[in-house]
Amino acid sequence: MAMDCQSQVRLKQTEEGLQLILPSVEDMSDASWSDLWQQFKHRCHGSDRFWQVPGTVHLMAGDQLLDGLKLQAIADVLNDVGLRISRVYTSRRQTAVAAATAGYCVEQQSATYSLHQTPELSQELTEPLYLQMTVRSGVEIRHPGTIVILGDLNPGGTVIAAGDIFIWGRLRGVAHAGADGNRSCRIMALKMEPTQLRIADAVARAPETPPIEFYPEVAYVTPQGIRIARAADFAKTQLLLNS
Amino acid sequence: MSRIIVITSGKGGVGKTTVTANLGAAIAKLGRQVALIDADFGLRNLDLLLGLENRVVYTAIEVFAGQCRLEQALVKDKRQEGLVLLPAAQSRNKEAVSPEQMKKLIAVLSQKYEYILVDSPAGIEMGFRNAIIAASEALIVTTPEIAAVRDADRVVGLLEAQGIKRIFLIVNRLKPAMVQADQMMSVQDVQEILAIPLIGVIPDDERVIVSSNRGEPLALAENLTLPGIAIHNIARRLEGDKVPFLDLMAEHDTLINRIRRMFRS
Repeated sequence: MAMDCQSQVRLKQTEEGLQLILPSVEDMSDASWSDLWQQFKHRCHGSDRFWQVPGTVHLMAGDQLLDGLKLQAIADVLNDVGLRISRVYTSRRQTAVAAATAGYCVEQQSATYSLHQTPELSQELTEPLYLQMTVRSGVEIRHPGTIVILGDLNPGGTVIAAGDIFIWGRLRGVAHAGADGNRSCRIMALKMEPTQLRIADAVARAPETPPIEFYPEVAYVTPQGIRIARAADFAKTQLLLNS
Repeated sequence: MSRIIVITSGKGGVGKTTVTANLGAAIAKLGRQVALIDADFGLRNLDLLLGLENRVVYTAIEVFAGQCRLEQALVKDKRQEGLVLLPAAQSRNKEAVSPEQMKKLIAVLSQKYEYILVDSPAGIEMGFRNAIIAASEALIVTTPEIAAVRDADRVVGLLEAQGIKRIFLIVNRLKPAMVQADQMMSVQDVQEILAIPLIGVIPDDERVIVSSNRGEPLALAENLTLPGIAIHNIARRLEGDKVPFLDLMAEHDTLINRIRRMFRS
């Protein structure tokens, strides 16, 4: 049950500065521009504390086709969170022309070479994604690394990570850790009331009768399936025993 | 600067149109100029609830087509000064209007009216997108049921992505007796999931149905009923007044109920 974690917009801090990376057309599969657009806005507003304002950002458009309107729309949203596009990287000629017309510095790359794809073909996880938001019904967050959410994961919302998942709030939706198949990943939440937990290829539902009291808990995989432990005891009973 | 407020819910049948009609009347009663826009093309209801059906001559579609002027299509409410309605067409469907047309229309209305309330259709398709396109504020109407709350949660996410920052919650059709007996979600339960500020709680009341059928909004009645008061309080909170919430629970907080609840927990 390997899930694809690459297919979403990403904001990445690199040595050269902040990068806004759009997924490639192929990775997006059936998602439309308006889906991409909503992801992008949620991502921006969920993590706007993590950069210097005002700042600049490189737009890594990949093979996405962007016209002047879309570029302007992206610039407007970035402007709302205090960022300015300093340079546009693209492999599409039309996008390059549109960006140049709009007055941006443009770097056109050959279609076969795309900056963000090559390094991640290896199983290495990318840097954690830290979001401050409520993941509401209908919202799906995917990231090829660990995801930390400061807020609730509501019923109907989904978080899919190649690494661990931390919910600093209530976990009531669906969380899928180790989505690339890593069974050692864990899901942690202050209040664990999930619709469903998935770690790698294991799936668990919440118990029929909800517990009376809630503690911060950790979900992990055992040969018998997904188990949940109190977070306060988890380090002692699981981590040290196994070491 | 006029306030453009969209009233929406995701799920149908939770009382968007009833709230729009009554809230519009209540705000107009506070002396404001209010325009109500029915964005539910193809399934128009707002004119019925206001009792203005027989005075509708032109609709928004004729305005868009240039067959009449905007002022001609606006239906003035004779009972309440400062309240006008722009009816939707009943003969078309949601695709008959584009977001750009809607935006332009609201821009024209906002020059004259202080409040523009847009009654959104249920769902999250074209009609919904038309309704929210020009809005700067949103009122989410939900009933205390999980399906309604789930849909409301989805809509809040979409509104946030649209860049609408001021989003308030109206919990409609609350039955205090059932909440006391732990058979219905409480306002706190709803708020816990949606995590947006509450602006009003409207109790369930049969008189709402009667007034809807008669086309006489409760908010315009001489002697206000409990739901009418709740609506008026929402109008005042929109105006910026600090109005304490009605204590709907008090009546049902009897000794027997308390003992029952004690046993249940």
